Amino acid sequence: MADTGEPVRVTESDVERLAAQVGLAIAPESRAAVAQHLTALLAAVRLIDELTLPGATEPAPRFEP
Amino acid sequence: MIDAATSALEIAAAVRAGKIRAREVVAGALARIAERDGALNAFTLVLSEHALADAETIDRRLAQGQDPGPLAGVPFAVKNLFDVAGVTTLAGSKINADRAPAARDATAVGRMRGSGAVLVGALNMDEYAYGFSTENTHYGPTRNPHDPSRIAGGSSGGSAAAVAAGMVPLTLGTDTNGSIRVPSALCGVFGLKPTFGRVSRAGVAPLAWSFDHVGPLARSVADLAGAFDSIAGPDPLDPVCSTRPAGPCSGELARGVDGLRLAILGGHFARLATDDALGAVARVARALGVSREVTLPEVHRARAAAGVITACEAATIHLDNLRTRAADFDPMTRDRLLAATLLPASAYVRAQRLRAWFRDRVAEVFRDADVLLAPTTPWTAPVIGAPWNTRIGGVDVPTRGHLGAFTQPFSFVGLPVVSVPIVIPGSLPLGVQLIGRPFEEAAVLRVAAQLEAEVCNSLHRTAHSVPRSYP
Repeated sequence: MADTGEPVRVTESDVERLAAQVGLAIAPESRAAVAQHLTALLAAVRLIDELTLPGATEPAPRFEP
Repeated sequence: MIDAATSALEIAAAVRAGKIRAREVVAGALARIAERDGALNAFTLVLSEHALADAETIDRRLAQGQDPGPLAGVPFAVKNLFDVAGVTTLAGSKINADRAPAARDATAVGRMRGSGAVLVGALNMDEYAYGFSTENTHYGPTRNPHDPSRIAGGSSGGSAAAVAAGMVPLTLGTDTNGSIRVPSALCGVFGLKPTFGRVSRAGVAPLAWSFDHVGPLARSVADLAGAFDSIAGPDPLDPVCSTRPAGPCSGELARGVDGLRLAILGGHFARLATDDALGAVARVARALGVSREVTLPEVHRARAAAGVITACEAATIHLDNLRTRAADFDPMTRDRLLAATLLPASAYVRAQRLRAWFRDRVAEVFRDADVLLAPTTPWTAPVIGAPWNTRIGGVDVPTRGHLGAFTQPFSFVGLPVVSVPIVIPGSLPLGVQLIGRPFEEAAVLRVAAQLEAEVCNSLHRTAHSVPRSYP
């Protein structure tokens, strides 16, 4: 199991900064809710990260030319 | 006599035998919609003139000695994310209302029509199918026919409510994380999420490409199987649709559960749920004589990965509109989509690796079992506008999001699942999931048919009867 430390806390200023990186202008009145949802998503990401998978495990989608 | 409780197959048999005209059947369905939908808001569009014209075509074909198909004259409706030729595909949104009408039917809609069924309208849903409640801000909430103060579930809420209220015997929905099974359970009807790739998604607005499934909802297992047989099978228009031929399931139902190894899922599936939800599984297990319990590893992480993949794919699909017209999204979906645009790429790729790993763990459990039992939802339908969180087992969980706690792990790995309705007199409906191996829809439908005979039919009047009036 990977040790991923303390829970991530997302602030409204985090949201503003991250959104700028993907070309989004998130309205000020939405930033608190977006921060809350991003905190929840990052908690889910932590659950995924904590499970160490065999190195040979490939992502599920498969492309067949 | 054809009424709100008549099954699709009974209607088709009567129409094919010339005992009733398709036009009369469809006119009856349209009259029930006019009478009942004002109180429920299941439909966003009723295609009265087209439906009557299509029904007359069925009648003419029969009069000419032609076979219009096994669903001849059966009224059906579809979640409004299916393309219908000549109709704008809303997908529950205000944004898509600006789009041109669809040029042709979605494959599944076309196949239903090709089987003789008559499309009577389009049904309400969560915006872009990203929800479990159908509390749509643009088009209003769909109300539960068993208690109109409560949600119908989602995202195929209109599809479940229309069937439960007896407006039509069959509908189509989609299920990415539970969106057929959750509303089926909360409205007390049968719902089938087929194997991933078994039914074409061509012409269906996507929520998440990795998990989107198309399936039917009905008041009987025979109707469910009949609709599934009509829509299943290869389709070159859908890149993930399986090329393996689809064998009909309808003829399998009478085989019962003989030879099938059944087991109850414990662990994750026995936690953070009401006693009633767990009691529904116990009732089903008793009826089937099942006591063996099995567990799956890391289910909570599988569910987390399903949520991350869904969020990332949905946010990617809607990124352009999030950049240019975010205010036009339903607030119930917009802020979640915006949050998902900010996740790192590694989160998505790791979630897809976990998906492959979890698929193999699930396959190991299926070495010793053919069909697994689990609750569909952790509780009955919440009231419309319920608080964001609910406390259960000493833990605060999202009231709406937690509705998918038991469904997400199976759409995550694409297994076929039937949700069977359990309605205790005086209580709201619940559902029990019957989960099978990939492409073994016949097995879960066989178990559902046996349960329908032994459990559901004993409660039939409560589970399937429709109130004559609504507040």
